[in-house]
Amino acid sequence: MSRALPAAIVLALLALLVLAPMAGLLHLGGLPGYEAADLRFWDNAYLRRVLLFSLWQAFLSTLLSVLPAILVARAFAMRGELPLRRLLLGLFALPLVVPAVVAVMAVVSVYGSDGWLPLGRSLYGLNGILIAHVFFSLPLAVRLLLPQWQAIPQHHWQLAEQLGMNGWQSWRFIEWPMLREALPGVLLLVFMLCLTSFAVVLTLGGGPRSTTLEVAIYQSLRFDFNPARAVLLALLQLALCILVALATLKLQRLPEVEIATSAPARPASALRKWIDTGLIAAASLYVGMPLLSMLLDGLGGPLFKVVGGGGFWRALVNTLTIGLAAALLSTLAGWLLLRYSAHLAHCQRRSAARMVELAGSIVYVAPPLVIGTGLFVLLSPHVDVFGWVYPIVIAINALMGLPFVIRSLGPAMRQTHARYHRLCQSLDLHGWNRFRYLEWPLLRRPLGLALALVTVLAMGDLGVIALFGSTQTSTLALLIYQQLGAYLIPQATVTALLLLLLCLGVFALLERLVGGADDAAH
Amino acid sequence: MLSVTTRIGTGLAALLFCFGLQAATPKLVVYTYDSFTSEWGPGPQVKKAFEAKCGCELEMVGLADGVSMLNRLKLEGANSRADILLGIDTNLTADARASGLFETHGLAIADTALPGGWNDDLFLPYDFGYFAFVYNRERLANPPSSLRQLVEDADGPTLLIQDPRTSTPGLGLLLWMKKVFGDDAGEAWAKLSKRIVTVSKGWSEAYGLFLKGEADMVLSYTTSPAYHVIAEQDSRYAAARFSEGHYQQIEVAGLVRSSERKQLARDFLEFMVSEEFQRIIPTTNWMYPAMAGESLLPAEFGELIDPEPALLLDEDSVAGQRKAWVDEWLEVMSR
Repeated sequence: MSRALPAAIVLALLALLVLAPMAGLLHLGGLPGYEAADLRFWDNAYLRRVLLFSLWQAFLSTLLSVLPAILVARAFAMRGELPLRRLLLGLFALPLVVPAVVAVMAVVSVYGSDGWLPLGRSLYGLNGILIAHVFFSLPLAVRLLLPQWQAIPQHHWQLAEQLGMNGWQSWRFIEWPMLREALPGVLLLVFMLCLTSFAVVLTLGGGPRSTTLEVAIYQSLRFDFNPARAVLLALLQLALCILVALATLKLQRLPEVEIATSAPARPASALRKWIDTGLIAAASLYVGMPLLSMLLDGLGGPLFKVVGGGGFWRALVNTLTIGLAAALLSTLAGWLLLRYSAHLAHCQRRSAARMVELAGSIVYVAPPLVIGTGLFVLLSPHVDVFGWVYPIVIAINALMGLPFVIRSLGPAMRQTHARYHRLCQSLDLHGWNRFRYLEWPLLRRPLGLALALVTVLAMGDLGVIALFGSTQTSTLALLIYQQLGAYLIPQATVTALLLLLLCLGVFALLERLVGGADDAAH
Repeated sequence: MLSVTTRIGTGLAALLFCFGLQAATPKLVVYTYDSFTSEWGPGPQVKKAFEAKCGCELEMVGLADGVSMLNRLKLEGANSRADILLGIDTNLTADARASGLFETHGLAIADTALPGGWNDDLFLPYDFGYFAFVYNRERLANPPSSLRQLVEDADGPTLLIQDPRTSTPGLGLLLWMKKVFGDDAGEAWAKLSKRIVTVSKGWSEAYGLFLKGEADMVLSYTTSPAYHVIAEQDSRYAAARFSEGHYQQIEVAGLVRSSERKQLARDFLEFMVSEEFQRIIPTTNWMYPAMAGESLLPAEFGELIDPEPALLLDEDSVAGQRKAWVDEWLEVMSR
């Protein structure tokens, strides 16, 4: 009961935060200029095409991100001693924070017609979309999958060696079963990221042929001012993701045998080492090139003009505040959900356990524009929304961060619960003591990753601030957009670089402070 | 102990004094787009100049763009805090008019720079501009001299444009094509689409890609080259002059009906069309001031192309057919 109640409250709050704004928008009759126009969009050829394209590009992006990510994560796991490993893994957290418009520019710096690897006009279309999505998602998937290898105990490898297993066999019998716990969740997360992609798809997609459902939602709400239709499309998107989630969950198997966490690297042949190093180098190059182009652009820009501007420091403080607050809230909510889910899994109620995690993840596809506008409709008659900009922005960012918490913390939490729950009961260890003496030492590393991921994610989010509008509230991401919108492209590249460096610093600091210093293998 | 109490007392008194002052100062709330309020936009200078004479506080609320402002106002209805809405263009005025949320401004404009003059009792113009295709002289020696030539020449320059569903210039080009090609606009788009490198969400993405050399021309404003000359001393960029004329964008402000400070709001509108405000516009908003007066413009604006004749569809046909035209565009561009 002590686990179910907080989780139920979190789930209720999630539902409220997603569904109440939608209900608010649906009940907007009698508004000037608003026609409850034709909602039968289903027989509309345009929307059918949008739907198919959204799904197809998200499917391809997911495949091209996660499959290589498995190989790269494996290579990182096997090469614990690699020099620069820490730095490279730090870089892999960065693409997530790059605001979409900056990412587009960075991709064009590398693959554009004046770029380092010019693709010419063939960049625009599915190619460009996939290149950008893999840039975002591959490093994320690597970060989320890597802990699975680190959870494989030493004696499994020893056993494999004694049995004379070859690479394929050890993959099949040792690594794959471990991976199956985390893979479906990572697939779903990447799929949702790519499905809801907007500016990247529109700009690199070459034209309205490449329109996603998210664009159609935006169009309905803003251009046509038809909130009801926007909500229906948002619900359609939600339903699609639930279907995909159910399909990926079919793949999931929780390990039958619980194992200890100890993570030494496994002895490997020289050839294997070369292949792993090659994989890491290729992935780092792929992720690093657009980041490097941002670094070079930013270094050439007017640094002092940017940091001397009055708005910069205020935006920096706002960005940090929003990022940290959203991460704390998101991690707390994720912790409560996962604790309950781990408990359910332990009681052999595995499908219920999965549903709890799914509910926490799926909220990601609720379009922030719809949630934000809906919240506005609900709140504005009662409170002064300008005073509420921060809480709302933080709440929505926490919501968007929840699937990242669930992915990075979920597997470790379930394993910890499964291994130590009985021990805790026999020792009567619960509440704060259980956290202090058991969970904190065992879970601080994934906790650190979760906090760091959500913080940088929220720091890079342009999100709802622009939507709510305000006199003071600004963030670095918004500052970048404002600079780009005012011809100040050199300034924008400097701001983007500073945002990136700030995120790198915050990420490293949080991982070190929360995750603990002893994570050389991570 | 005593001194602490005294300090607290003095502090409280000071605080109360501040509150008293604040309550005495009326506050005027203006909804606008956030590039207007940004530190390099017109906002800070406008605020300073107006507050110096009004004895009030001017609060400018930056929203994403004109569409967001109008939608926001509709959602808020009579509860809105806004006294003024500044920054919608003539493609939105029909919609804004129909909303019934605006009140007549009651001001007469003596001397407008707008080619067609101005006659509207709800909305007042503060600046205007013309859409144009901008190019780099070093990369494109012979730009097309008309929209028709741009469309017809199969080996013509490659283009970056914006999506009419998400961007003001994008919608501007759609209307420009409609004005020039009428019912044949769809066919013209089909020809043009082969040379469109990409269609971006907003102006920033397309312009950024253009500066990175991704296409020969980008859809922007006739005034864009002035930015590069004045702010960057870079004269490589130019707008191509099209013989059919250039589609016009007029930005306007209106007085919100539910405002409780209508006199102050009218003072602001009067200030908006005064020389002091108008002089701020060219080098902060990079548009033409709506009021006449050569002295309002920096010399570099004299070098810009002559966009006449100004093309503009009336607001009712835009409001009535915008959806149908966008659908037509989507259909052609998705082939």
